[in-house]
Amino acid sequence: MPATGPGPFSHLECQLPAPRRREGAVLRYSHAWERGRGSPAHILLSLQVQPPHPASIRMLRGHQLPVTCLVISPDDRFIFSASKDGSLIKWEVESGKRLCVVPGGKKGTEERHMGHASHVLCMAISSDGKYLATGDRNKLIMIWDAATCKRLHIFTGHRDAVSGLSFRKGTHQLYSASHDRCVKVWNVAENAYVETLFGHQDVITGLDSLSRECCVTAGGRDGTVRLWKIPEESQLVFYGHQGSIDCIQLINEEHMVSGADDGSLALWGLTKKKPLALARQAHGMQDAQGLQQPYWISAVAALRNSDLLATGSHSASVKLWKCGEGFRKLEPLWDIPLVGFVNSLTFSAAGDFLVAGLGQEHRLGRWWRVKEAKNSICIIPLKRRAAAPSPEAPDSPEAPDSS
Amino acid sequence: MSFEELLQVQSDRRTRVCKQVTGGKKTAKPAKATVKQQQSKKGPLEMSAKKPVPFLRQVVSVTKKVRRDPRFDDLSGEYKPEIFMRTYSFLDNIKKQEKEMIQKQLKKCRNVEQKEKLQQLLNRMIQQEQAQEKQQKLRERELSLKRKQRELAKQGKKPFFLKKSEKRKLELAEKYAELKRSGKLESFLNKKRKRNAIKDKRRLPSQKNL
Repeated sequence: MPATGPGPFSHLECQLPAPRRREGAVLRYSHAWERGRGSPAHILLSLQVQPPHPASIRMLRGHQLPVTCLVISPDDRFIFSASKDGSLIKWEVESGKRLCVVPGGKKGTEERHMGHASHVLCMAISSDGKYLATGDRNKLIMIWDAATCKRLHIFTGHRDAVSGLSFRKGTHQLYSASHDRCVKVWNVAENAYVETLFGHQDVITGLDSLSRECCVTAGGRDGTVRLWKIPEESQLVFYGHQGSIDCIQLINEEHMVSGADDGSLALWGLTKKKPLALARQAHGMQDAQGLQQPYWISAVAALRNSDLLATGSHSASVKLWKCGEGFRKLEPLWDIPLVGFVNSLTFSAAGDFLVAGLGQEHRLGRWWRVKEAKNSICIIPLKRRAAAPSPEAPDSPEAPDSS
Repeated sequence: MSFEELLQVQSDRRTRVCKQVTGGKKTAKPAKATVKQQQSKKGPLEMSAKKPVPFLRQVVSVTKKVRRDPRFDDLSGEYKPEIFMRTYSFLDNIKKQEKEMIQKQLKKCRNVEQKEKLQQLLNRMIQQEQAQEKQQKLRERELSLKRKQRELAKQGKKPFFLKKSEKRKLELAEKYAELKRSGKLESFLNKKRKRNAIKDKRRLPSQKNL
């Protein structure tokens, strides 16, 4: 990991950000993080996770229109979600209560309304849990204080809808991607714009970053996934998907996973320009009035530094996958039944639960409408089997009993 | 880290190669996809991230449609009438069917104008057929002549080639035979006599010049 000098968190224990570990949680991350690489020798978490009981899935309703994006605070206590009506809700995980609601404004009230007046497409939260950033279709990025939900600042500068946001772990540096095909770097602590990076040929549909000063973007119809090396001002271009790449997430510093609208799921490594593993028609084929096409993958999530992946579509289920050895294979594990468009998926930092943002429509448009679905967020607990520990973990795992 | 320190660290990190690539000097060679091909061909392409993408850009690769004219294309080969007739013989059947269709329509039709048009169309089709048959006969005659020559040559006699005038005489002889068979010889000869008479009359001196 590059040493960046005295940073905002240097008063904390180490330079590498670590998750808040509750008592009795399995020691999972320390080895992989110290090594700084996602090597296959880490704990095979995917084999320990069990399918949840359908009754234990909680559905929290509060949004009027489909939920488009959500983030979990780094301490796994709060969930922030946003939807197509521009509203922002802060939920408490334990009780399921709404702590703060910032309603969305109508079109035309951008000046006076404290909040978004158009679809919110993306969100990000900094790893110290202080700042929340949201981006909408009106080319604005709004910075909120996560604890009080007060708006602190608005970043303007993008020339089209903002479609991807991510904080660099351990800092207050924000990366944003937009439909105007550029990636911008901002410094939230100082409310400053840093630089712009170009290269995509079509709208950018997703962005993600970890603790390196790099981010990955998914390039929609131009069929490329690009890794941006910001200090060197260069990009690495990966090809291999057919169809528009709609979502992307980093698994660890060396691997990422992306989903496209031809139903294919790809696993990428940084040394090869083609995907390491490709699963076609991951959610099957849909039969919409004679037009047979694969279910689009609308959301993809990865449990950081492990081999568990989750994908969401509107095929009435969220599928869980396991990355094979060396990230060269993709094996389906099991499904979680959820009706509606899964517009966003996130694992909690400790891997205890998975949150899905559901809606009646796709987050980017209104191609279909699933009437039976409810615009809500679902908290899915992931129980872990009390299995024998793999050789890496020094402690014996105690399966935490999540509600 | 303050903003100034950030910028400083950033400028320190920029390697010499990157500076060359992103420097934007006009003396440097303008390369589209650049410099760092030190990685193997299987690795991802590394490009500069600072060059803005132009408005007229290629998002999806579009393949140009290759158009070919089969008349002038080498793939079609040389024109050989027998092969052509054999492969496209189905067209004769279609033409026959169309002729029958038009004859039926002609019988049914009441409208005078349309009847005229249909009649013209029918005549055109019949004449095309006749022209085809004529050409076919010509070709057959040529072939038979060639076959005769070949036989003679095989038998050892010297092959002889007819002059054009001789060929025309033979054709005329055949035509007369045909006409005699169908019984139109008299009318044909009368018409010919009239035509020749008119032509000769034009040659004679007129009364004016007397």
